[in-house]
Amino acid sequence: MRLAALVAAPVLIGVLYSILGALGFVGLDAHGFTMVHVTRVLGAGSTWRGIGWSLATATVATAAATIASGAVAIAFRGTRLGDRVARALVAVPLPMPHIVAATLSLLVLAQSGLVARLLYALGAIHSVAQMPPLILDRFGIGYMATMAWKEVPFLSVVAISVLATRGPRLEEVARTLGATPRAIMWRVTVPVLWRGLAPAAIAVAIVIAGSFEGAYLLAPSNPLALPLLTYEQYRTIDATRRADAYVLVLVGLTLAALAVVALEWARARWDVE
Amino acid sequence: MGRRIAVVILALSALMPLVLLGLWSVGDHWFFPTLIPPAFTTDSWRATLTGRLGAAALISGVVALATAVLGCAFAMPIGRAMARLSGWRRHMASALAFLPVAAPPIALGLGLQYAFVTLGVSGTIVGVIAAHVVSATSFLAIYFAGVFTALDPRIEDEARCLGARPLDVWTRITIPIVRRQIGDALALGFLVSWAQVPLTLVIGGGIVRTLPLEVYDYLRAGETRYAATGALLLTVPPMLALLAARRERVAPL
Repeated sequence: MRLAALVAAPVLIGVLYSILGALGFVGLDAHGFTMVHVTRVLGAGSTWRGIGWSLATATVATAAATIASGAVAIAFRGTRLGDRVARALVAVPLPMPHIVAATLSLLVLAQSGLVARLLYALGAIHSVAQMPPLILDRFGIGYMATMAWKEVPFLSVVAISVLATRGPRLEEVARTLGATPRAIMWRVTVPVLWRGLAPAAIAVAIVIAGSFEGAYLLAPSNPLALPLLTYEQYRTIDATRRADAYVLVLVGLTLAALAVVALEWARARWDVE
Repeated sequence: MGRRIAVVILALSALMPLVLLGLWSVGDHWFFPTLIPPAFTTDSWRATLTGRLGAAALISGVVALATAVLGCAFAMPIGRAMARLSGWRRHMASALAFLPVAAPPIALGLGLQYAFVTLGVSGTIVGVIAAHVVSATSFLAIYFAGVFTALDPRIEDEARCLGARPLDVWTRITIPIVRRQIGDALALGFLVSWAQVPLTLVIGGGIVRTLPLEVYDYLRAGETRYAATGALLLTVPPMLALLAARRERVAPL
């Protein structure tokens, strides 16, 4: 326990410093206790829009990736060659760094990217301007698609192992008790899969919401995703506003802590080892 | 039919990224709307030998290697201690260990920055390694907690009973048993650092130029050929790790 606390120590030191910074005790332009940074950040619409944007895009991307991974795990759970090939293929992009995924996304989805060129070749568009913006767009379509694509391999690997270890016995019991294939799918397979996948899906949502790399290249400047907003405040030339970044750090860490609690709760509730 | 289409999509998603990056890394004067590069050049690849990309890859490699070794050295005893806990203590400990993973990296970086400035390592390669170690230790502690949960603690108890000192237990019992997992952990620690961006950006202050930072700068400058080459280099160690892990799994025991 004490050793585990040691791992968390840097975060706790960071929290302590951020609290002191946010309240005006330490930092570039610190003049003693003040609530001006806290009230300014929490009163700013951009903060809440940033939080909302980060949480919404993380939720949509995670939901899409989870559904796709569940579908892959169910569709290719057999022992035939096609099943094994599909299971091997889905894991290939697993170790690809986020920044590489973001780079690819720029090359493929940007207004002059590969998709636009294919559409031009097919006669669907006639100039760059006709291509709808998918990168740096307000809704983060390219960003969500990239994050979902990046997380499908991880969630699929988890889903495949969940189905392989926990599925067959329960399905067999249901079959013996006279359940139809449809009932087995919706009342045994899918719930088993969801329970096994839920902790991984929560972890993925945490990673996406806090991810800097993808957002830095693909997310819009309005609203600005929470990690980008934090970085922007930290780099601002106005020294009196730098401490605002520490308030945003605390907001980010609070959200992360809540997510960790949710994750441990999900694990304690659903992880039947 | 649906299954076949799904397999084709999976194959495209697995192979196209490398093909596209490869094409983009050599395509010259390749602008909208041409589908195939009109000319080819290897200048960005030559830059990996002598230019910015090569230097950045070297720095990334050194940082990642140091992170892997230090991260394992810290995380192994922590993971082992975590594995011995049970009930609420176990959940509490794993939540604590998970905190640096869950904390948005940019928040972690800014939180750590003051301490690093005070220690005089901000903007140095040592500082960047230390920041990466914080993040890697967290990942690896969780990994080792899993490894040691599967290891029967009575083996170590037995050695102690027979008079082995704590160091002997580590070097002659524990480490030899989990030797393979240590190899995996070293690879994992390397990869955590290899792809790291926000910690490098904040703690390195833009002075320590790792490969991911160079890729960013090239992308923002519109130098897609160099960015694609850097991105391809970034995928090499992770792909090697994946291949090694697969080979291990199919190897006979």
